[in-house]
Amino acid sequence: MAEIFETLKEPIYETLYLTFVPLLLSVIFGFIIGTIIFITASDTAIIDTSKSPLLRIINRIADALVNIFRSIPYLILLIWVLPITNALTGSMIGAASAVPSLVFSATPFFARMVVIAFKEIDKGTIEASKALGANTFQIIFKVLIEESKPALISGITVTAINLVSYSAMAGAVGAGGLGFEAFQYGLARHDNEMMLITTILIVILVFIIQITGDLLCKKVDKR
Amino acid sequence: MIEFKNVSKTFDGKKKVEAVKNVNLKINDGEIFGIVGYSGAGKSTLIRLVNQLEKVTEGSILIDGVDVVKLKGKDLIKERQNIGMIFQHFNLLWSKTVLENIAFPLEIAHVDKKTRLEKAKAMAIEVGLEEKMNVYPSSLSGGQKQRVAIARALVLNPKILLCDEATSALDPKTTEDILDLLKKINQKYHITILMITHQMETVQKICHRLAVMALGEVVEVNTVDNIFTDPKEELTKQLIQTVDTGLDVKKMATNLKEKYPDGHLLRITFENKNSEEPILYEIINKLNIPINIVSANIKNTQAGALGVMYIHIKMRSDIGIVLEEFAKYGVKAEVI
Repeated sequence: MAEIFETLKEPIYETLYLTFVPLLLSVIFGFIIGTIIFITASDTAIIDTSKSPLLRIINRIADALVNIFRSIPYLILLIWVLPITNALTGSMIGAASAVPSLVFSATPFFARMVVIAFKEIDKGTIEASKALGANTFQIIFKVLIEESKPALISGITVTAINLVSYSAMAGAVGAGGLGFEAFQYGLARHDNEMMLITTILIVILVFIIQITGDLLCKKVDKR
Repeated sequence: MIEFKNVSKTFDGKKKVEAVKNVNLKINDGEIFGIVGYSGAGKSTLIRLVNQLEKVTEGSILIDGVDVVKLKGKDLIKERQNIGMIFQHFNLLWSKTVLENIAFPLEIAHVDKKTRLEKAKAMAIEVGLEEKMNVYPSSLSGGQKQRVAIARALVLNPKILLCDEATSALDPKTTEDILDLLKKINQKYHITILMITHQMETVQKICHRLAVMALGEVVEVNTVDNIFTDPKEELTKQLIQTVDTGLDVKKMATNLKEKYPDGHLLRITFENKNSEEPILYEIINKLNIPINIVSANIKNTQAGALGVMYIHIKMRSDIGIVLEEFAKYGVKAEVI
């Protein structure tokens, strides 16, 4: 048993790396893109877009990009992103090489989560903040984020869980991690014990993420 | 002073909507001014033009001589800090405590933390929320939420307070309390209050003057007392009749007319100076006519008490004599 865990130490570390590094980057990029889509939407009334065709074009383009990248299955996206991966990391295999494709996949997903979270905020609250003298920057950081915290935390949780499952897929094509172990031992050697252990580990990881997310969500929800 | 000059607002969309049409109004400093009308009259749009939550299509709005229509960016934000606003659904930040909500305008105006907490505390006490300072809005009642909103709107010491249907979501008792609070604030800080509402009772209780709006236009402007004793427009009459009796006066008049074709329904208004004399008794005695009191009540306005009575006279062809008799006592009577 101890021997198995010794073998799995490196894959566990790789899976955590493949989940949380892309998560951090996707949350940052996704937040920026989601916020741009939300505040440039014509029905939000944070900034007046009626007189600025540029803002409307930005809104359309950002929205379309998010939809396009969300529609591409991860496995196909992975292959499309390979040249970028190669340029960025100098390699097409290894844990770091899977990061760009995971970010490409999770960013539009989280951006959509941000838009949904912001849309849930009562328009009256935004209007009131404007009336009290808040500028756009303050509305984003002091109203939108604060008022949608539970939804944003749920969004991060779901994105993280998605990344766990995508990282297993990336693992299978050379990024390492528990997915790679399961692929190697299970498919190639019919090692059922190893299959079971890697599966259980992944399930435990997902549970930990979900439970932490739920607890945090509950803590910040004062509604 | 707030001055609307030829203000119009048209919403472009699939269908063009002229929400506000050529409005001219002057609201004096320290005044409580009401804008009344049914939903869709354009009141909400009009009040949002004052702090530029909506942009005018035409015209200008002068606040102490400054045209807010022309303000942009930092200047507009500065002006908005001079104009507090409260809403029908309170619009508090649920993620912040009562105190943090009240301090919010100070926070966005970059006031340091110590000062803003001090000011917010003083404001919380002012509106009667000293017990609730550290709770979240979700645990408050509607009236308490509106108190938080009022404190939040006043914490920057604005010159103007805009009230957007501020009591429409509250029960009658709470409405009364909130109106008393607004009245107190108006007197204490000499703040100009501009309120829109569809409830004539609200206006009658605390406003000095009011404007009646219909289909985007202001149809009548007068002091509250004059509007109630001497309404000019049909719409104004309708609005005040519902307040008088809580009944549909038009329907009542039609019903009575069917039963008693020769009868007359009269609306009589008594002002302060004659509200203590037995006028009705004297007229009944003198003319020897049977009078049936349909409805009667007294309302308190900013200018004093105002009595409104609806009486029905079953048979009387020479109704002119009755009206003359009332006029002798200085009482306004009107046949409905």
